Amino acid sequence: MPSSYAILACDVFREELEELCRRTPTCKALRFLEMGLHDQPKLLRERIQEALSQIEADPSVEAIALAYGRCGNGLIGVTAGRCPLILPQAHDCISILLGGTERHAAILKENPGTYFYSPGWVREKRVPGPDREEWLRNLYADRYPDDNEMIDDLVEADAETFAHHNCAAYVAVTDNPTARDYCRNCARHLGWNHRELDGDPGFLNALVHAQWDDSRFLHISPGHRIAANGEGRLYAQGHRP
Amino acid sequence: MSTREDLKTAIINGKRKDVKTIIPELLEAGETPVDLLEKAMIPAMSAVGEKFKNNEVFVPEMLVSARAMKEGMKLIEPALIEAGIKPKHTAIIGTVEGDLHDIGKNLVATMWKGAGFEVIDLGVNVPPAQFVDAIKTHQPAIVGLSALLTTTMPSMKTTVAAIREAGFDTVKILIGGAPITQSYADEIGADGYAQDAGSAVDAAKATLGAA
Repeated sequence: MPSSYAILACDVFREELEELCRRTPTCKALRFLEMGLHDQPKLLRERIQEALSQIEADPSVEAIALAYGRCGNGLIGVTAGRCPLILPQAHDCISILLGGTERHAAILKENPGTYFYSPGWVREKRVPGPDREEWLRNLYADRYPDDNEMIDDLVEADAETFAHHNCAAYVAVTDNPTARDYCRNCARHLGWNHRELDGDPGFLNALVHAQWDDSRFLHISPGHRIAANGEGRLYAQGHRP
Repeated sequence: MSTREDLKTAIINGKRKDVKTIIPELLEAGETPVDLLEKAMIPAMSAVGEKFKNNEVFVPEMLVSARAMKEGMKLIEPALIEAGIKPKHTAIIGTVEGDLHDIGKNLVATMWKGAGFEVIDLGVNVPPAQFVDAIKTHQPAIVGLSALLTTTMPSMKTTVAAIREAGFDTVKILIGGAPITQSYADEIGADGYAQDAGSAVDAAKATLGAA
């Protein structure tokens, strides 16, 4: 276990990680990148690589743990520089909050129409629900001033992207009644079912406390990069010849 | 008098009403439906795809453009029939089992239709057996599998295996979706991969060995 390490995390985990890191003196730094970058995997990869370089410029940092999963494959190709990297074996934040990919997969298998909410996602208010339309209208009002017909079309098109979902599932790791109620309200607004899932802080706890066992975490040595096989398992790939 | 360029711009900007007025004008002026598709409408959707890739537009803008494209195709189809133009290939498409995200799949279906394919859309969350049955029924030249989630990517592998095990060795399988890569296509034995909807037509033609 390194005596000094940093954590680079998606902002979606801010609430959970700030609570956990407060009690962990060996965690040298906790840095967040904006959430939602998984929609643009190339950009996510660039941002991560850039942040890693900045973090490891501090010579006292010996390792960097990433609070990320594959995240739309945005993490694939990320290369370790001076510091070794540690990454959860997970698809995304939801796998991490649920404690592992198996549980995540089982819930989706039971109902592929499940849309997951967590305090981080709720905080941005971009999740499907009553505030998303307002956010979109403001966003597009700047881009298409005086074209209300276009803005209506865009809002309608956005709603189409969630047309096959039918359940808002709130994943609770922290006690946040406001976020929990917000999710319930979104479900009501959308006419979806609602369910609450107990989150499992085990993954994040292990990440923060440097308990990086091989079964749950991938270790990437300097110069190696993150890759995934056909089964979805992450592995460290050496230099290509 | 409208031009092909006007049609292209109307689709890029998602202006359905403009598309509805421009197409009849252009057909009336002697433009062929195939030219309108190949030289204005498909390039328009490719341009939108490019803007999306460069983060200049978001998903809703792409969908609004796709709607404009579809409106246009409704007007083009009767002209194609009148000109005696028949689909060159049959294609089957669907999102794989467990995946409900159909934006990419719908865009590819629209692009393929525009390129003169007959497209059988099986919808979302399609089990491998349903793909196999549809192949038996429709005898397509190409099958498109779509997945957005890394959680559902393994369903692509299962589906490719099911199609091959059922004895369909010659049907071309093309895969796509945000997390999909060429190396994944190679790994699971798919015949090709399209990086995005804009390149799905070229990818399909390349896979079929058609110009």
